[in-house]
Amino acid sequence: MDHIELSLTQSLDHCIKCNICTSACPVAAVTDKFPGPKYVGPQAQRFRRAGQPVPDDSVDYCSGCRVCNQVCPTGVRIAELNARARAQIVAERGLPLRNALIARSELIGRLSCGPHAPLVNFGLGFKPARWAVDKVLGIHQDAPLPRASRSSFRAWFARRRRSLDARSPGTPAQPSRQVVYFHGCATNYYEPEVGKAAVAVLERNGFEVILAEQNCCGLPLLSNGAFADARKLHEANVRKLLPYVRRGIPVVGTSTSCTLTLKEEAPELLGLSSEEVHAVAAGTYDIFEFLRDLADRDQLNTEFRPVERRLPYHPPCQLRAHRIGRPVLDILALVPGLRLDESRNECCGIAGTYGLKREKYQIGMDVGAGLFAFVRGSGSDLALCDSETCRWQITHGTGVRSKHPIEILAEAYG
Amino acid sequence: MHYDTIVIGAGLAGLMAALARAERGERVLLLAKGHGTTHWTSGCIDLLDAGDDPLAAIGRLAAEQPEHPYALAGTVALEQGLERLRAACEAAGYPLAGSPGRNVRLPTALGALRPTCLLPATMVAGEARQLADGRPTLIAGFHELRDFFPPLIAANLRDQGLHAEAAYLGLPPVERSHEFGPMIFARLFERTDFRAAIGEQLATLVRRGGYARVGLPAVLGVRRATEVVRDLQARAGALVFEIPTLPTSVPGVRLFQALHDAFLAAGGRVQLGSFVLRGEGAAATLTVIISEAAAREQRHRALRFVLATGGVAGGGLRADHTGVLQETALGLPVRAPGGPSEWFAPRFLDEAGHPIFRAGIAVDDQLRPLDAAGRVAYHNVAVAGSAIAGCDPIREGCLEGVAIATGWKAGLL
Ligand code: SF4
Ligand code: SF4
Repeated sequence: MDHIELSLTQSLDHCIKCNICTSACPVAAVTDKFPGPKYVGPQAQRFRRAGQPVPDDSVDYCSGCRVCNQVCPTGVRIAELNARARAQIVAERGLPLRNALIARSELIGRLSCGPHAPLVNFGLGFKPARWAVDKVLGIHQDAPLPRASRSSFRAWFARRRRSLDARSPGTPAQPSRQVVYFHGCATNYYEPEVGKAAVAVLERNGFEVILAEQNCCGLPLLSNGAFADARKLHEANVRKLLPYVRRGIPVVGTSTSCTLTLKEEAPELLGLSSEEVHAVAAGTYDIFEFLRDLADRDQLNTEFRPVERRLPYHPPCQLRAHRIGRPVLDILALVPGLRLDESRNECCGIAGTYGLKREKYQIGMDVGAGLFAFVRGSGSDLALCDSETCRWQITHGTGVRSKHPIEILAEAYG
Repeated sequence: MHYDTIVIGAGLAGLMAALARAERGERVLLLAKGHGTTHWTSGCIDLLDAGDDPLAAIGRLAAEQPEHPYALAGTVALEQGLERLRAACEAAGYPLAGSPGRNVRLPTALGALRPTCLLPATMVAGEARQLADGRPTLIAGFHELRDFFPPLIAANLRDQGLHAEAAYLGLPPVERSHEFGPMIFARLFERTDFRAAIGEQLATLVRRGGYARVGLPAVLGVRRATEVVRDLQARAGALVFEIPTLPTSVPGVRLFQALHDAFLAAGGRVQLGSFVLRGEGAAATLTVIISEAAAREQRHRALRFVLATGGVAGGGLRADHTGVLQETALGLPVRAPGGPSEWFAPRFLDEAGHPIFRAGIAVDDQLRPLDAAGRVAYHNVAVAGSAIAGCDPIREGCLEGVAIATGWKAGLL
């Protein structure tokens, strides 16, 4: 039993059976295929023993949104217990083909992104094709899949670097400070504009952005219970990022799920506790968290143009797990004219890859119903959310466009 | 980010303090590790279990025990806080009945009659004097709702000389086949089709039994409870009242939501899921508090702080393995009744209660924490609710009253 396992096991004894978690769980609220966090977490855990079969499968209906962790008055780490329980099921029975596929976001992204992207997008927008994918693979035919980009973010960054170098040869810019940008799969293959905005914002704050070698953070594998594969990815990222972290260069990401995985999710769920893993975790920041730290030290560039807009904002579940409050609201409040209305709905329902699955698609849509009503009711033609899969789900559920808040901040810098 | 005030703890005391300060125009952060005791308690407001007039009894108590939190907070803070709470509930469409000068008794989920003071309008028809009017009362529930047994409640009411009978209702067709907690029922009761089916059954029972009123578990809607009760009354042809259930307490959730909404409307910020680990300060001034977060700690700055993390039951106080009581967030000195051997009375259900529940932080009349020598530990910290020493809130029947009085006072200072 590693120390994390021990702390999870000990946290069982803190459960006072108050059911507050079950009352707040968005999945248990819409389906009784899922008996709720108290049962599958602290209660069922007592019956899970190494070498014995997993007592019940319903834990697979946990979306990992962590609302339970947030509301539990005694600090039971329910979502982590559930994630480990799912991994035990996968270890026993293997990963279904469908889950193995959707969990490999980097591979899918790499295959779809490029000059042939329009063709891929056409294929995935094609009803009969989606029907076949649904029937054969169990990916719901209506589930929101992203549109691949014709050119990756890294390719854009490299082109830009070359043209900057060509324009001012021999006089490399000498910003006093550097950051590593962790873009994640979604920005690289589907939404390069998020990365471009991040680079613009960081540069406006006097940072040189380094595009270190990196790979998928592994969260889709973790949340599908494929821990062995996730471990390889995380260890590779630690190897690639460690040299920068050692030099005191922070790793900043726009995807709240990637940054959460680097900070805590991978180390905790996989039981990795080496000094290197800790160093990378402690050196990783969500981009708005990073900007808020700058603001706290009076180092944030606040020369914003007014942005006269009022926009709905959904703080995603992974942000909740960072336990850092609402850095987007803190920073965007500094932009004159801009007003955000925070969604009070806990979850959009997609939970990474959860809402893509045929048997869970409707649960995801039911979980997200409150959020969709909030976004539609705002009358806005644009919604903000820091997490990519949540943005796609919001747009899918409402028809309203969605952006990463960093794109609005980049706009405000003009 | 820089706040004027950070309130630690999202129970009744913390919510009241946060609301008061936000309404003064301050930038306020409410920081808590999770939902507070509102979600476990009855959703009624207990002031003091001492005779018919709690307000008068509180006056006497304050004179006799000058270190009791009621004495330190003063009755003005109590009365103003109660008024603000009432207004927040009213605004949420969930009015509270009763008056601070009068205790009433309501049936519990065991059929005992428990004194309280303010109660949601949804519970009024179950008040003991009305139950004693000689006309029959029906207690009804669902087999699917665990821990609520109408026959037990009715039998215990009969033992107290009240005319009560029991029935189980059939569950109308719903998408679910198992897993019915209080919140699930509460959401179902917000649906008209569900209420219509329940109303029909109730009307039949009322016609046959000639019941004047029907007691149901307190799961009659989350956000629209008053409306749900009114609708059920019309359908049943009798008065309907709610009886608090075991946790999760839906009426407690409603109180939480009413205050939470009022706080957000006043511009406040809420951050749940964040344990406060410690504070930093100098010269008896707290400047920073530090909360646990992924991979790193988070630092929060403010000019002043309110500690409303609860007592032993709420998790604000913990005993370490050496038998020393610790205040979990700021490490403030705890006033405890002797060592572990003196913490408990010999019997579990002891009449006099367990001394440990009187443990807490000693405070002055500005609710500032005091150290062992009686000096102010932090000038810019106020302590509110069950974290304060010198009172056993559950035993004395003053849990909500003390939370509101001290919470509101912390908001006024
Ligand atoms: S909220 Fe926490 S303490 Fe309450 S039942 Fe759930 S896990 Fe247990
Ligand atoms: S993580 Fe979300 S879905 Fe899973 S048990 Fe907790 S609240 Fe429910």
